Amino acid sequence: MSARTGLLRGLCLHHVSCSAKQLQQQQQQQQRRLLNHFISRDPKPAVNGQDAPSPPHFTLAVKDNIATTGATASSTTTCASPFLTSYRSPFEATIVTQLRARGAVVVGKTNLDEFGMGSHSVHSASGPVAQGPDNDQGQGQQVRASGDYGGEARSAGGSSGGSAVAVACGEADVALGTDTGGSVRLPAAYTGVVGFKPSYGMLSRHGVVPYANSLDTVGFLARSVGTIADLLVGAGGLWAEHDPKDPTSLSPAARARCASGREGYRSSLTAVLKGVRFGIPLEYNIEELDPRIRDVWSASAEALQQLGARIVPVSLPSTRHALAAYYVIAPAEASSNLAKYDGIRYGTREDHGGSAGGESESDVADGGVLYAASRGRGFGDEVKRRILLGSYTLSSEAMDNYFIKAQAVRRLVRRDFDRVFALANPLHEPEAFDLSDLPDSVAMENKFGPTEVDFLLCPTAPTLAPRLADVTAQQQSPVDSYMNDVFTVPASLAGLPTISIPVQVAPEAAESPGRETGPGAAGLQLIGQFWDDARLLAVAGAVARALSEPT
Amino acid sequence: MARISAAVLSKYLLSGELSCRGCLGARRVSFSSESASYSARQTRHFTARATPITGPAPVPALAFQSSNPSPVPLRQQLKAQARALKSSGEKRKKNADNQTVPGWELTVGIEIHAQLNTARKLFSPAAASFNDAPNTHVALFDVALPGSQPSFQSDALIPAVRAALALDCTVQPVSRFDRKHYFHWDQPAGYQITQYYEPFATDGRIVLYPRDGIAPQDGEAIEVGIKQVQMEQDTAKTTAQPGGVQWLDFNRVGMPLIEVITLPQIHYPATAAALVRKVQMLLNSVDACVSGMEAGGLRADINVSVRRSDDTTGPLGTRTEIKNLSSFKAVEDAIIAERDRQIALLESGGVVVGETRGWSLGGTETRRLRGKEGEVDYRYMPDPDLGPVVIDDQLVRHLKDWMGVLPDAEIDQLIGDYGLSSKDALSLILLDDGARVQYFYNVLDAIEARLGSNADHESLATSSGRSHALLVANWCLHELGKLTEVSADLGMTPEGECRVPSTDLAAILYHLHSRTITAKVAKELLWSVFRGEIATGAVTAVVEANGLWFKELPDEEYAALADQVIEGEEKVLGEFLRFQDGKSKAYPHGKLMFLVGRMLRSGPEQMMDPVSAERVMRARIAEVYIPALQAKK
Repeated sequence: MSARTGLLRGLCLHHVSCSAKQLQQQQQQQQRRLLNHFISRDPKPAVNGQDAPSPPHFTLAVKDNIATTGATASSTTTCASPFLTSYRSPFEATIVTQLRARGAVVVGKTNLDEFGMGSHSVHSASGPVAQGPDNDQGQGQQVRASGDYGGEARSAGGSSGGSAVAVACGEADVALGTDTGGSVRLPAAYTGVVGFKPSYGMLSRHGVVPYANSLDTVGFLARSVGTIADLLVGAGGLWAEHDPKDPTSLSPAARARCASGREGYRSSLTAVLKGVRFGIPLEYNIEELDPRIRDVWSASAEALQQLGARIVPVSLPSTRHALAAYYVIAPAEASSNLAKYDGIRYGTREDHGGSAGGESESDVADGGVLYAASRGRGFGDEVKRRILLGSYTLSSEAMDNYFIKAQAVRRLVRRDFDRVFALANPLHEPEAFDLSDLPDSVAMENKFGPTEVDFLLCPTAPTLAPRLADVTAQQQSPVDSYMNDVFTVPASLAGLPTISIPVQVAPEAAESPGRETGPGAAGLQLIGQFWDDARLLAVAGAVARALSEPT
Repeated sequence: MARISAAVLSKYLLSGELSCRGCLGARRVSFSSESASYSARQTRHFTARATPITGPAPVPALAFQSSNPSPVPLRQQLKAQARALKSSGEKRKKNADNQTVPGWELTVGIEIHAQLNTARKLFSPAAASFNDAPNTHVALFDVALPGSQPSFQSDALIPAVRAALALDCTVQPVSRFDRKHYFHWDQPAGYQITQYYEPFATDGRIVLYPRDGIAPQDGEAIEVGIKQVQMEQDTAKTTAQPGGVQWLDFNRVGMPLIEVITLPQIHYPATAAALVRKVQMLLNSVDACVSGMEAGGLRADINVSVRRSDDTTGPLGTRTEIKNLSSFKAVEDAIIAERDRQIALLESGGVVVGETRGWSLGGTETRRLRGKEGEVDYRYMPDPDLGPVVIDDQLVRHLKDWMGVLPDAEIDQLIGDYGLSSKDALSLILLDDGARVQYFYNVLDAIEARLGSNADHESLATSSGRSHALLVANWCLHELGKLTEVSADLGMTPEGECRVPSTDLAAILYHLHSRTITAKVAKELLWSVFRGEIATGAVTAVVEANGLWFKELPDEEYAALADQVIEGEEKVLGEFLRFQDGKSKAYPHGKLMFLVGRMLRSGPEQMMDPVSAERVMRARIAEVYIPALQAKK
């Protein structure tokens, strides 16, 4: 089969074959082409019964902002940017090497929003990603009638949309994504798969092209929580591996210290839901929340309560500032990280109509027009928007009012989380909290304060996957698009482990009756305290099982 | 005329580039060449080819305008200036007479960049190198490959902290790295990692003395505060090629630098130059720095402002910054020129604009590089990949304890213990990047080992006992200096050894000091050792073999020679009589030495000692000739 179906959009189909199997393959191929979830793809890995690599292999899709090496098609790392369309990294990301050692066979590089900036995987030099009606072909949990595919194609979420679709379609057992402000969890929620963002500093970012270094994490997408838990915790788990090449990778000593106060790293954990305390953040019940999601959220909470879990309302007062803080900090770091793409070494240089070299030289003296022209042409609109935003918030006149304030908010967001979690944050000294700061709606457990919780339970996104047409036709303003990150950003700012698990939404709540039933899945998010990843995965597995069983 | 290869010459003529790392080959030569218009370059290219290299190369007239930053060969530039001065009929004032302008107060602050002496780059394990083949020491992070990350090399802290201590700074327990953003092809990441918000060392000071070359107006000493010292990355080296092509050498990118920022407490141009010189000396003395300003390892930016001296309580005047000065003289010249420009501007009712200006070597005025509106906003941001630098107090204390003697203390020692003049002491310390003074100690140790049997240590420390030290100092400075005037250099190593082994010089000086050879023989021996004609350790054997030992004439023969010389010099003798009679106040020492000189020339030189000759001559005059003259009366 062709190796690069994802790339070759608009390709003429081969002449019609009479074989039914071939016909079916062609249909699948065409659908996948429409999904556009791969930027480059390896030929079918030569793995069969006889020479299966040991340890047991699994297929891995890699988001195209994570460096891979090799002679195959998937050895480019384009970040979906025109600057890097032919870029081949001379080194491989640590996480890919680590997974190869555990039996991963890379099937391709997945499509994304340019440099990871976007919420729908539409801002890509390789074109937008769509999720088709049939991406339950694997073990996906969506049940959906196939409809008018072209017009009704839904957003796969972003920025790891290609990775989510690859997993949903069953073309990869595991996909790597990157999560800066929700870029793994949002596509997981939209496409009905599991998306996991680990604690900041657990997985190496070496070889991951940075968007916002202080927020970037490598995340996993898979069809079940267990697949991810197998890779991350337990014997030979990735959680223990320090990477000296990544200065933000926690040292072995810090890992041991953080894990010493946690369960599930040294010995396996049998998750029981009985007695687990789930916090329901009151501030997450926003006006814009889709009623179907609000319903499934409260239904899930009730179901868990019936299984013996405690459901506790909690308050995270800084939540409402978190999104604004995120959209100051992330673009600021992005504007800095993307300064290297200047047309000198990456991309093509603008020569002003190809006039003599002398002219472009004088342009340089006139104030860097050489760079401005190259960058103006080389970046997509969303990236340009964030570079401008970031450059402004870092400028000497705006720094104090934006960047510094945003860092202060970031600290408050983290304090909010530290206050509600029963476990202490091992990276910070315990702080005293003033009860008078809490809203009245929070019930006190005793005179010392409200109940402390093990995990927070909230939706991953305020809406279901929107129509791609609505997203791309600019009916959504950039700010609307940023709104999708409102529930995912706080955990990113605090560096906390978070998982999005799929839950079914009521099919009868279709928005335009008789024509379309809408997406069948939403994401439910579980947030844990820092380095509580092992227990988070165990409990998320139990929650996913409990919620998928008919009550 | 020196023989220069055509390739070097054409590089120099066409792109103003020197092949060596000298002050003229300073970085950012690129700047001037990039803004030179293409056609001008073409013209020069053509004329240079068409003209015999020996003849004066014609250069387009516009190149002489100092506002034009085209690279013009220095000699031509200087000639043109001299011509311009001559035709305008005014003489350029000497800098020494140009330290002040009546009615105005000058204020200067300086930023000095110095390359740290480390084995690796600041954020990658690639080797720090100087003259290796281009682009051979480059790590992933150095060229900012996507997905690469910095890895702070903590080894850089040792020279950095030493530098901070030499500048009397407080070393901060926690400091951080920030990104400074601007676009230039010599900077692959689009930002430079530096320490803007929280530098690793703050609040230091440098004391400058007259011997450092400060302006006389500063008196006996002046203290200049150091605001901060920060670590940062160097940029890539740009080599301009003909036709607007720039070659980049990424060996230099990411090399560790420190930036030393002074407070605006300097008020005289000479003092500013002295400060830069002293910073270089201090950094060298603690082994923090790789090379000096002459070798391109040190660069300075200066901030200059003026205000009327009758109102010095108010705020400072608007300052301008002059970037990338690569010699001490350039620092002083640029300050004088910029001060005079600002004063002229203010006196004619104008306003000084805050802007960045440039200076070309040997120039007469600064030129505008970019104004306030064109000023880059560096958008400083804490680097999100790099954690804080935590410097343990123990490290600081350890480095302080093992730092050794700083130059000022050493100079005081040389003056106090060995009786050197402050000028000689300073020269000794500055020469060969501090190796000369080490050589001095080596020679001194060797000679004292030889003297040791005759004199105990205490007598060596007394003023009469230290005459050998003065002798050693004089030879290490002046006689050794004469060797290099003629032929190749001394080949001085940092350990204080050179082509004249310290033990051999000690042997020569031991014999000289103990008056067993004459000064003339000693000098000839030195030359022979320098030329390699005498094997190491064979000085004494050579003296023996060639019968060079000083066999002194008996006093009678000295006396006979004296008599011979005095013959017919009654007029000279009259001077001595006048002194004897109290008619003149001073002993006619000059006349005596005149006679001694004649005496030495008339006798067998290798058997005579000037000291003995003088002694005998003085005695003959006093005991024989004066009484004779008196008797004549």
